[in-house]
Amino acid sequence: MTMMIPYGQRVTPDRQATSRSLMRPRPVGRAARIILSGMLALWFALPLVPLLLWSVANRWSFPAPLPTEWGFDGLGTALAQGGVEAFGRSLLLSLAVAAIATPLGAMAARALAVGSVPAPRLVSGILLAPLALPAFVAVMGLTVVLLRLRVPAIVGVLLLLVAAALPYTVYTMRVTYAAHDLAFEEEARTLGASRLQVLWRVHLPLVAPGLARAAFLSFLVGWSDYVITVLVGGGTIVTLPFLVGSFAAGVGNDAIVAVLSLSAIVPPLLLLLALGRFGRRYAGGTRTPSASPLARSEKGFL
Amino acid sequence: MARSGARAVGTTITALDRQAAGVSPRGSRRWSSIALVAPAVLIALFVVGGGIGFSLVQSLGLLPLVGEASLSLDAYLANGDDLVRGIGLSLAIATASTALSCIIGLTAALVITQGRSTGRLVAGLSAFTIPIPHLVGAASVGLLLSDAGIIPRILGIPGTEWPDIVGGSWWIAVVLEYTWKESAFVALVVAGVLASRVARYDETAALLGASRARRLRHVVIPLARPAVIVSAIIIFVYTLGSYEVAWLLGRPYPEPLPVLAFRLFTSITLTARPEAAAVAVVTTLISLAVVALGMAALRRTPLWK
Repeated sequence: MTMMIPYGQRVTPDRQATSRSLMRPRPVGRAARIILSGMLALWFALPLVPLLLWSVANRWSFPAPLPTEWGFDGLGTALAQGGVEAFGRSLLLSLAVAAIATPLGAMAARALAVGSVPAPRLVSGILLAPLALPAFVAVMGLTVVLLRLRVPAIVGVLLLLVAAALPYTVYTMRVTYAAHDLAFEEEARTLGASRLQVLWRVHLPLVAPGLARAAFLSFLVGWSDYVITVLVGGGTIVTLPFLVGSFAAGVGNDAIVAVLSLSAIVPPLLLLLALGRFGRRYAGGTRTPSASPLARSEKGFL
Repeated sequence: MARSGARAVGTTITALDRQAAGVSPRGSRRWSSIALVAPAVLIALFVVGGGIGFSLVQSLGLLPLVGEASLSLDAYLANGDDLVRGIGLSLAIATASTALSCIIGLTAALVITQGRSTGRLVAGLSAFTIPIPHLVGAASVGLLLSDAGIIPRILGIPGTEWPDIVGGSWWIAVVLEYTWKESAFVALVVAGVLASRVARYDETAALLGASRARRLRHVVIPLARPAVIVSAIIIFVYTLGSYEVAWLLGRPYPEPLPVLAFRLFTSITLTARPEAAAVAVVTTLISLAVVALGMAALRRTPLWK
């Protein structure tokens, strides 16, 4: 039996007396939130402080809380130890990984999105599988094969890094293609555009933000790799992480480690900022303000 | 008259359509899809399948660098004690890092999705952390927490009294570095989910009179759970198989599995290669088991599609 509710009467019990209204300020909650945010900000920022300080410290004897002698000796040593060459090598390697893994991932994601790939679940599983396999296992298994096939070390490194980057590019592009409307391409075809024109003028511009995110993530895979270059290259491919590792393993290299580490942070950071600007310009301000540029792929970088 | 004209146009369009799509439209589309997906699948299959397969074959002594191939389990038994200790240590490091990352990352995601200036600050700093290589993070944590690091300097504690955070028996610096990087990862993933999906439910619950604690317990956390589980799987598998952080911030003995495998792989003795492969196979088995467990947990969440 339904109960009749007179017009204008409150259905929910009147809780004005016991509960606060949604808009009323809560000083305790506010203070707690600010303290919690401050602690989290410190947590994320603190590990970067030593890099900034040590990179401009010539001397920093122990009990002193700040460098005892400021200067750029660390930078000088880093340059003398081949920092620039290593930086360039890392940049080339990461760009190559991005240039290979992004189109491959996009093509696979496109085929999966159109829905005519046989055994789509198996195919997606295979493409995500490199995420579940530790990189050193792949290297240790395949080195023998690559050696016997006389594959040059740099090709082997590229192959392994591309495989490691594929899960990110495939996933990012699947998210992109899920929101992509094929009707635009059909429309252009109907209006007489050639396949190439559709690809260049309609398809690629529409998925460009997704491609940029995918390229950024695959760049990061190449940029932050250590194990694959060291094990496959056997120390012949000197990348920036390789230099950081060999100096950090020694004693008394604090300034040079800081300089090299900072130079390893700057390029991906610039790319991240560029990606944010690109995404904002492209999306026309439809993004939620709190979501970072990476959040759209719902899976960032490890 | 008009109707037959329209029909003629219709037939022409269908014919053109068929012509454009090839003789058998479905078949050609299928083949072009296979061609699109093939390069990526072949590379992933070669690296994953080949990596596991050849590790297994080498660990069983079937592919020695020199000498005769013979099937044996020697490689698994040669470093029995180290292997068992490595498994325990690696599992402990991965478990601690994953649990801490999820707790801190979820908290950060909640602060971020509040959407105020403090939330934006946390969002910016955590996004800033994401692209930093783990090796750089490890070097920096070393400069921060070692006995001559910046924290003991600021606190004025002499190096002899400072606890062994770097290279100590509790592997604290290693866990902290993983937690630092991976909590930012969890924050990113979970904040993305919370911002897109959960906000509306949370508002509805608030309008229906649910308190903050109840909303957190019954709305936000259940809706964030699938994202947290997926990130936890990724973090666990990554920290289990990652080499550089444990190598730089850990102690020489006992060794986690990747460090043990790396040392054996790069050692001069040729018999050590199969032993390294054996460690790799064991690590893979643990990873796969964790992925399977995680997927089972994921399927049990009510939201999993």
